[in-house]
Amino acid sequence: MRPLLALCRKELASLFGTPAAYLVLTLVTLVSALVFFDHLRLYNQILFVYATGTMGGFDSDAVPDHVNLWNNVFAPVLENLGLTLMAAVPLVTMRAFAEERARGTEELLLATGIGPGRIVLGKFAVAFLFVALMMVASFVYPLTAVQQGGVGMEHLAAIFTGLLLHGIALASIGLVCSAFAASQLVAAVAGWATAFLLWDFGWAGAFVGERTAAVLDAVALHPHYGAFAEGVVSLADLAYFAGVVLVSLALARLSFDLRRIGP
Amino acid sequence: MSAAAELPELSARGLSRRFGAHAALDGIDLEVPRGSTFALLGANGAGKTTFLRIAAGLLLPSAGEVRIAGISAVEEPARVQRRIGYVMETSRLYPELRVRGLLRFLAAARGMPRGEREAAVERALERFGLGAVARRPIGNLSKGFQQRVSLAQAFLHDPPLVIVDEPTGGLDPLQRQEVQERLRALRGERTLLLSTHDLGEARALADRVAVLSAGRLVALGPADELLGHGDPLALFRAAGGGA
Repeated sequence: MRPLLALCRKELASLFGTPAAYLVLTLVTLVSALVFFDHLRLYNQILFVYATGTMGGFDSDAVPDHVNLWNNVFAPVLENLGLTLMAAVPLVTMRAFAEERARGTEELLLATGIGPGRIVLGKFAVAFLFVALMMVASFVYPLTAVQQGGVGMEHLAAIFTGLLLHGIALASIGLVCSAFAASQLVAAVAGWATAFLLWDFGWAGAFVGERTAAVLDAVALHPHYGAFAEGVVSLADLAYFAGVVLVSLALARLSFDLRRIGP
Repeated sequence: MSAAAELPELSARGLSRRFGAHAALDGIDLEVPRGSTFALLGANGAGKTTFLRIAAGLLLPSAGEVRIAGISAVEEPARVQRRIGYVMETSRLYPELRVRGLLRFLAAARGMPRGEREAAVERALERFGLGAVARRPIGNLSKGFQQRVSLAQAFLHDPPLVIVDEPTGGLDPLQRQEVQERLRALRGERTLLLSTHDLGEARALADRVAVLSAGRLVALGPADELLGHGDPLALFRAAGGGA
């Protein structure tokens, strides 16, 4: 446990010792704020059009049920937050292993006898903490949904869990890319490409059979993330995210064995 | 005396390593006696670093085996790594960490308890004359000081065997002298396995020498016998070394 904690402390110090971490946190918060206020502005305009459509001035009864804060503001904000994470997380995970190899410090670390398994776990733990921090920083908007949008605490907890699991799955994918990529840039691009490819296979439905489309839907990130956003927490979705993390960590661990075997 | 204590500190049997079609090591057999200072000598590309990486459990051989005090570096790399200190060719450290911070981190990564860790860090700082720069970021240090930090980290856990790859590579003459003096002071205290392409360095530091050329062992024996007279460079030339 001691080596793992030491590695986590070092990784956190390295991560927050560079401007990149602060930049990513600021960008995620900023983008979330912009998306939130943009949807809020749009919602107000829609509301105004419906409510003033009658000659008698403002009439809230004229607003149809489907025009509400949840449908028009919070649901799209959450959708965008998921996409923002997809763009931001690979920027954080790209350095995890690729930077160690570029500097030649991976062997310094391995020579301590800490072992590849602990290195992968330590890097994952730090990525997890960073994703959680991003969530907290950008969760202020879903939080207002409790007060203003008629969303209950249970629904909010499901949303937070979904976002966190989504972020962690993205971090795990980013770590695998960093473990195999030749450079940080390649790791980031591979992380983005993999995450966007896995995001949604709805488009593939037109080209493949029903059974294949169902399989693709089962491996895509969006359907599982979307279920949490709707307030549904199912064992199948939890198992899906756990599977993504476990497979990713196993692949990252495998990269060490492959490097030990060499070309 | 126990059976383990009678074993050589390092033994290699039929050690080969190929990178594609290129044979970096080809059937190396050698033993490094306990307490000796042993130099692997050879031109660039002779296979020295490959040998050391396999011995440190960081790379797998294509054939053969290496044992450190009887422990297989292939099958039990973690046990081997707990028993050795490893200094890589050129200083590969975390430039953003401070000297004391790096040593603390590496001691903790080796699983040393806090009290023991602090004492080990202080000992390493003192032994390698790093007290004055202990609070400075490693990236701001000269190459000579960075090499001292590299050496210091390898001694933190007081290992019986220290492996040093090209201890003075890339250093200026004054820094070379400084590092060589520090290594010379360690002779006899524990087993040192060095790699170098510098005949003078091997002569000054080692009591036994193995000469590698194009992945093959071309000479093995006491340093003064192999390097003390005649034209030692002939050892390099004999097998087309450095090709």
